[in-house]
Amino acid sequence: MEITVERRESITIVSIAGSVDGLTSADLSAAFREELGGGRVRLIGDFAGVDYTSSAGLRALLETVKETRRRGGDLRLAAVRPEVLRVLELSGFTGILKLYADVQAAADSFPA
Amino acid sequence: MPETWEGAAEARNLAQVRAFVEDFCRRVGADPRASFDLKLAVDEACTNIVEHGYVGMPQGDMRVSIAFDGERLTVVISDHGRSFDPERIAPPDARMDCEEREPGGLGWHLIRSTVDGFRYESGAGEGNLLTLVKRARGSGKI
Repeated sequence: MEITVERRESITIVSIAGSVDGLTSADLSAAFREELGGGRVRLIGDFAGVDYTSSAGLRALLETVKETRRRGGDLRLAAVRPEVLRVLELSGFTGILKLYADVQAAADSFPA
Repeated sequence: MPETWEGAAEARNLAQVRAFVEDFCRRVGADPRASFDLKLAVDEACTNIVEHGYVGMPQGDMRVSIAFDGERLTVVISDHGRSFDPERIAPPDARMDCEEREPGGLGWHLIRSTVDGFRYESGAGEGNLLTLVKRARGSGKI
């Protein structure tokens, strides 16, 4: 799994490529936490390159979305592929996380 | 003939286990969704072993065997770590804080949601055996 972080004004885009599982989810959590630690609470997870996630990845998303919202921000997902969407749906996460077709749509969804 | 993967119960091996299941499913012509679901269920079961199975014990192994009878895929996952009863793990409530939820609860929820049948056995000396059954066809695309 590879992670790229891009900061655009008040929004941070965390782009992930590969599989998120019990090994790699710690890196994803760490990337999100680093942004939160810097006071950045508007996060977008660009999932265009993610072909798989297990519950380990979902836990990283859940802890992050709770912390961002507690601090007035949000974690929103962009370009989720069908495989990952299936895991999100099975877990009930589509009722928690906001999903967007692409990064631009997710970025536009944050209030100015 | 069943095929078997065996190795250390470590997170670095999870990708190998998934590839092993996926490759077998592809060779027997399983539907993409059946293949994905079984891969996810096996990964969740192995992740539980990695994270909880050998806590307080020396590092152990896990073993994954898979077979196909022309209709159903059967996976048997075995380990010699701590046993636990999956029936006692409540389905997760995603609104709850992570700390409040049962360890492995979300993983077990995904296993239950993706396979057509499962059985957990824990016998003295025999280790823990988790059997997962999944119909190979009829589920279509992901």
